[in-house]
Amino acid sequence: MPKKLLMGNEAFAYAALQAGVNVAAGYPGTPSSEVIETIAKLRASGVAQGVHVEWSANEKAALELVAGAAYSGARVLFTCKQMGLNVASDPLQCLNYIGVKGGCVLFVADDPGPISSQTEQDTRRFAAFAKVPVLDPATPEQGFAMMQAAFELSERYKTPVIVRPTTRVCHASAFFDIPDQTIARAIPEEGFERDARWVIFPGRSYQAHAEINERLVRIADTFGAEEPYIGFNPTEAIASDDAKVGIIAGGVSAAYAREALSMLEASAKRQGISLPSISFLQVGTPYPFPQKRVSSFVKPLEKVLVLEELDYVIEDELAALAGREHLPLEICGKLSGDALARGENSVDDAFARIQSFLGLSFSDEASPLTFDEPLPVRPPVLCAGCPHRGSFYAVKKALGKTPAILCGDIGCYTLGNAMPLDAIDTCLCMGAGITMAQGFAVTQPDKKNIAFVGDSTFFASGLTGVVNAVYNQHDITVVVLDNATTAMTGSQPHPGTGVTLMGANHQGIDIAGLLRAIGFECVVEADPLNIDEACAAVTQAIGFAGPSAVVFRSPCVQLIKPKPQVTVDTDLCTGCKRCITQIGCPGIGFDPDAKGIKSGSRGQAFVDASLCNGCGLCVQLCAVGALKIPAASACEGGAR
Amino acid sequence: MINILLAGVGGQGTVLAAKVLAQAAQSKGWQVRTAETIGMAQRGGNVTSHVRMGNEGEQVHSSLIAKKTAQLIIAFEPAEAARALEYLAPDGIVVTASSAVQPVTVALSGGAYRASDVIASLRAKLGERLIVVDDAAITEAVGSRKVLNTVLLASALFAEIIDLNLDDLRHAIEICVKPRFIELNQRAIDIVAGA
Repeated sequence: MPKKLLMGNEAFAYAALQAGVNVAAGYPGTPSSEVIETIAKLRASGVAQGVHVEWSANEKAALELVAGAAYSGARVLFTCKQMGLNVASDPLQCLNYIGVKGGCVLFVADDPGPISSQTEQDTRRFAAFAKVPVLDPATPEQGFAMMQAAFELSERYKTPVIVRPTTRVCHASAFFDIPDQTIARAIPEEGFERDARWVIFPGRSYQAHAEINERLVRIADTFGAEEPYIGFNPTEAIASDDAKVGIIAGGVSAAYAREALSMLEASAKRQGISLPSISFLQVGTPYPFPQKRVSSFVKPLEKVLVLEELDYVIEDELAALAGREHLPLEICGKLSGDALARGENSVDDAFARIQSFLGLSFSDEASPLTFDEPLPVRPPVLCAGCPHRGSFYAVKKALGKTPAILCGDIGCYTLGNAMPLDAIDTCLCMGAGITMAQGFAVTQPDKKNIAFVGDSTFFASGLTGVVNAVYNQHDITVVVLDNATTAMTGSQPHPGTGVTLMGANHQGIDIAGLLRAIGFECVVEADPLNIDEACAAVTQAIGFAGPSAVVFRSPCVQLIKPKPQVTVDTDLCTGCKRCITQIGCPGIGFDPDAKGIKSGSRGQAFVDASLCNGCGLCVQLCAVGALKIPAASACEGGAR
Repeated sequence: MINILLAGVGGQGTVLAAKVLAQAAQSKGWQVRTAETIGMAQRGGNVTSHVRMGNEGEQVHSSLIAKKTAQLIIAFEPAEAARALEYLAPDGIVVTASSAVQPVTVALSGGAYRASDVIASLRAKLGERLIVVDDAAITEAVGSRKVLNTVLLASALFAEIIDLNLDDLRHAIEICVKPRFIELNQRAIDIVAGA
């Protein structure tokens, strides 16, 4: 088998395919999206045979779909980010009571930091809440092994199993042996067999709860005693075997702790001191907690440091265990203030924490270099030429001084909150903008209540909200930012595009038509990069009493070929900065040292040739005609 | 252990550069781990890629580099070189592009960001440990801005800071880069080597 550099998520995809997965479904969300993308890519190229893969409309749809497939005996994979499991919570909670026939693995990626998420929720807690086993890898390699084991575990105990990596495992790469071909396991001939157990009822759930409780005890024992699971909870002795202090780590913190320990050994060696004996344990199967294994690990210890991200899951379990077994164990971790209570851990932090835990101090260490002068801040921004920029500008311009509440949502367009667009007042969770605007319409009727929603989010979580608006006749304006893709997570198709991962494409679901069909009487479609057209559309929609919508349609810049770039006529530019202060496009910079006839020493705008995609929005804004689209493209139609 | 930090602005190509370095290390038989910034920050924010190579047969546990341990920082933009300094090892080298990418925030705040000022401060701090690459001239000579990442990698390896050379780079590019771009990238390496 050839070796290939795989990102963690690509490795997870290979692992599932090698385990014979038949059906894979999910909804995009950083840091989880590449698993489904990789399966789709390998299916399209002929490497992965016999697998059905799809982006479902949302996580709830995806989990219910794979549940049906698993009842038929198929091996199934569901993928989402931690926020997505909230959406799929209803089917998950119930599915565990029903159980599965084919292996059912939920790949749920957590995001400590958070780096690209709304919360720092911990899926290990969610797993315990749902009473579903969870595996927590430290590295992509371990994740690969866990993914394969998860299918076995699921079938053996007829339970869904969660594999929960975090961002730094999902987006870390290492070399893997990759197969030339994978073949999905044959679905059992009998397929789905009718049985009372597939129908959830209170009486059945009472009985199932006993089965769940009983199997969790057995799974915990399996985790502590059997390969490959015991290998997910590895121990290591540093210096010698008679340690009185230990370190227990979960997830990527286990890799950080190991790295920090080898750095400490090197520091100690340099200074001619010897480290005390330390024992180390990774808990890779945090729920159900491998009691027996952890108990025998901590028994000889007086003191233990717990390093984990997000919640204090291992720390809690350890405290309970110490209580139950009357162990005189000092537990240092998040709750005792000996580890970070939030955000990401790091090698540097692990180094400092372990050092102080051991009562050591390598004081001669030099502090890191720093740059002392102020540096320009570089927050993420909407891309140069992003059509959302035009949409936000049009809504603000059409509103003028009219009081309004602008409800945002989840996606690239959350970046519409940044200056100078400053077009978002709220952002909560997927699809919330539409329904929150209705709450504002009830309590703030004197204001225009506007909800921005992306096309993918509209289908994922917005439909319920628009139905509610019509049903209860709320006076809101929904502004759909339709860029024909799920942009923030890396350009995945969605129901509106009609593009599927199985290659069978169709027309796609028409958002404007859908809104009209459910009873939106005012639906206006417009090109967001044509300022006059876009403003007129917004004016019409916000003037309508009752639910109204503007559907702004223009493809994401990641999908289209750039047009000829805008040029600055340096004889005309006055250095007024209107192009910058109105729309804040990264494709336009300001050179304070540029001199011109009209600008004197004020400086001038310039176009960044590596970024401008020729959308032409700024050209329409320049009051003196200094920004121009090269003549060849100007005749292609309209302002674009 | 060789630690290399790639620092740049979302969209500049640090991810592919990390892949190329990883491939070069793999061809040497070293264990290698890389880590990327993916997600919201990719939209024009500052991004880093970490590359760690066990060149002495040692195990690489973490894919992220600890502070003060990067032998090499390859910066795609001067301010990003400055921002990444805390990762630099006491004897580490910084290779940086000289062209600035102007953040919208600068023009909006009425301030100015001049690459030359940042480079002068870096020079004062690092002396000979700073290598400034005239990326604009080289990418213009190649005829494409797309090769910025290869230009910087080639400049760093040409300086013989780590145990990988331009042949290692050429070989890795053949494996990692889309076939139609290979020649363009090889030309970029030639120009750097001849400069």
